[in-house]
Amino acid sequence: MSTDAAGGRSRPSLRGLAGNRWSLLVLPAVVFLAVFFLAPLVTMSMRSVTDPQDAGLSNYTRFFADEAYLRVLINTFWIALVSTVTCLVVGYPFAYLMTVVSGRVAGLLLIAVLLPFWSSLLVRTFAWQVILRDTGIINRFLLDLGLISSPLTLIRTTLGVILGMSHILLPFMVLPLYAVMRRIDPEYGRAAANLGAPPMSAFLRVFVPLSLPGVVAGCLLVFVLALGFYITPALLGGLHDQMISQLIVQQIQQRLDWGFGTAMSVVLMVITLVILFIASRLVRLRDVFGSAVEE
Amino acid sequence: MRRWTTVAAFVALTSVMASCGGGGGGSASAAPPSVSGSIPAAPSEAASASAGGSAAASSAACNPPRQDGVKLTFASFGGVYQDAQRKAWLDPYSAATGVEFTNDENSSNATIKAQVEAGQVTWDVVDVGNDFGLDANKDLIEPLDYALIPRDEVLDGFAGDYRVADITYGVVLGYNTDKTAGKVPAGWADFFDLQKFPGKRGLWDYSEGGILEFALMADGVKPADLYKPSLDVARATKKLDTIKDNIVFWSSGAESQELIGSGEVAMTMIWNGRAWSAKNTDKKPVEIQWNQQIVTADYLVVPKGSPNKDAAMKFIAYTICAANNAKPSSYIPYGPTNKNAKPDPAKVADLSVSNADENSGYFDDTYLIDNFKDIDAAYQAWKTK
Repeated sequence: MSTDAAGGRSRPSLRGLAGNRWSLLVLPAVVFLAVFFLAPLVTMSMRSVTDPQDAGLSNYTRFFADEAYLRVLINTFWIALVSTVTCLVVGYPFAYLMTVVSGRVAGLLLIAVLLPFWSSLLVRTFAWQVILRDTGIINRFLLDLGLISSPLTLIRTTLGVILGMSHILLPFMVLPLYAVMRRIDPEYGRAAANLGAPPMSAFLRVFVPLSLPGVVAGCLLVFVLALGFYITPALLGGLHDQMISQLIVQQIQQRLDWGFGTAMSVVLMVITLVILFIASRLVRLRDVFGSAVEE
Repeated sequence: MRRWTTVAAFVALTSVMASCGGGGGGSASAAPPSVSGSIPAAPSEAASASAGGSAAASSAACNPPRQDGVKLTFASFGGVYQDAQRKAWLDPYSAATGVEFTNDENSSNATIKAQVEAGQVTWDVVDVGNDFGLDANKDLIEPLDYALIPRDEVLDGFAGDYRVADITYGVVLGYNTDKTAGKVPAGWADFFDLQKFPGKRGLWDYSEGGILEFALMADGVKPADLYKPSLDVARATKKLDTIKDNIVFWSSGAESQELIGSGEVAMTMIWNGRAWSAKNTDKKPVEIQWNQQIVTADYLVVPKGSPNKDAAMKFIAYTICAANNAKPSSYIPYGPTNKNAKPDPAKVADLSVSNADENSGYFDDTYLIDNFKDIDAAYQAWKTK
């Protein structure tokens, strides 16, 4: 895996890139990102120090001086982390299953993962409300069976948020995992067995390490996407499940305090970039995404 | 360097995905809140007070000239609400004047700001909540033309230099009669009384939507004293602590309607139109306690730089004029703002203004907008504590 990616493939130098006219094909994408992503991002970020005019760092000091905002920030990362772990725990066996069953069944499993993708996030979140609320399917069922005497508190809890978010984010975990796992030659497992490894240790010592790039790719994708959630925690969470995007939306949409809103966004973005940077030190993102995308 | 390139590419990828996934946009946040400072006279007394001087303005407002070829874009909050406005005001206005309307259903303060700052104003008349249209927003909106709009016919406190209320509604206590076992909660004190009325409580998760005011009323503060000399947030949150474990927060009108209709909460703070729909459309056992309601409004504004400013003013005058102002009440239980307007008799009992009395409260919008930072910080601190 990483060894042949690192050693085998030589990286094209910038000069080599310029010499290759095919590389011009990347230009539209670069221009698109620069004009429609980078420029607005920079413009908006600037507002955090220029709105109001003499703002300077006041929007940032306002944020960091307030314990409540910090609690929400920490909570945001905590919920994103738990959602990521949940997705991994559910997604890993699922992706593995997809690689061992027949092509037709694997196709069905793939559709099962992708299906929720085709309905809106809002609809899926409302569906969870119907399932989880006090008068919802689960509680109604358990009450009717006489297993419980008063409804379980499922909705407006951290559990509700994690369930809803993990459900929505699961495809982002399963797809990179599957892409990597599919490329793992089953012969490796057989070779390990041949050399006397019991199935479990062949799995743990051969298959799992080979699948790690997929794990990292899936976790990073899910984690970063989870950081930006606000509809799901608003609808399924309780008092303590506020995420920072909810505060940002309120500042931007309702209060029109764009300076403070963008300051919060910049804080979130910077911390996310730092996490990505650290992750890129631990594993080579390029290899991770290279292997996930190549297939 | 290369590492950063990869990081950047990853960020771009995820943000593109995030924006796709989050397609619901701001829809989780609520629709129309609203407001005003001083206390309007009850409409019944006010009806006789119509000033002679306004009669001329009023009749001109009610009878706009032909304006064939003029196009206006009207932005409001969509759904049955905007349908009511269309049927009551836009369609008849088009028929009378030839003005063609384009409807936008996603009114948002942020969009007005973005349009004005970019110099690309496409909205001409916008229906906004009570948290917008004050002096604090004067860079974003045009001063209204009160030579056309009959200001002195509007309920006291509901017409400002930059905005005029087009409909009134109430933030009320809604209760599920199945859950209160036939008992009627008398006001916000009962809302906070978990002994007398067990069950959960719905509240709008918005620091300036009424949650603090209702807590203060429950604690014995008179509606007229809510902001005198300042909103006592510490006292309000202390009162809220007494029911904190039983609170279910909602963030959209649809959600509040669902919560009270399904009985997940026994009582909720709710906009009167939503409680009405729970009872009459969804056929749920939901009733309104009008006592200690907060009477508030939605407002019409004209974004600064609207290319059709003059036509927009004529249209606003038409909606405010006594003959037209109450017409939406035929379609939705939202009341007039013009003291002389006569609501649909079938709906009078369901309107906030008809049920306004000395116990009713009114938001002080100017105070709230000026003190938002402190109020919201204290609210967030309480909530996340």
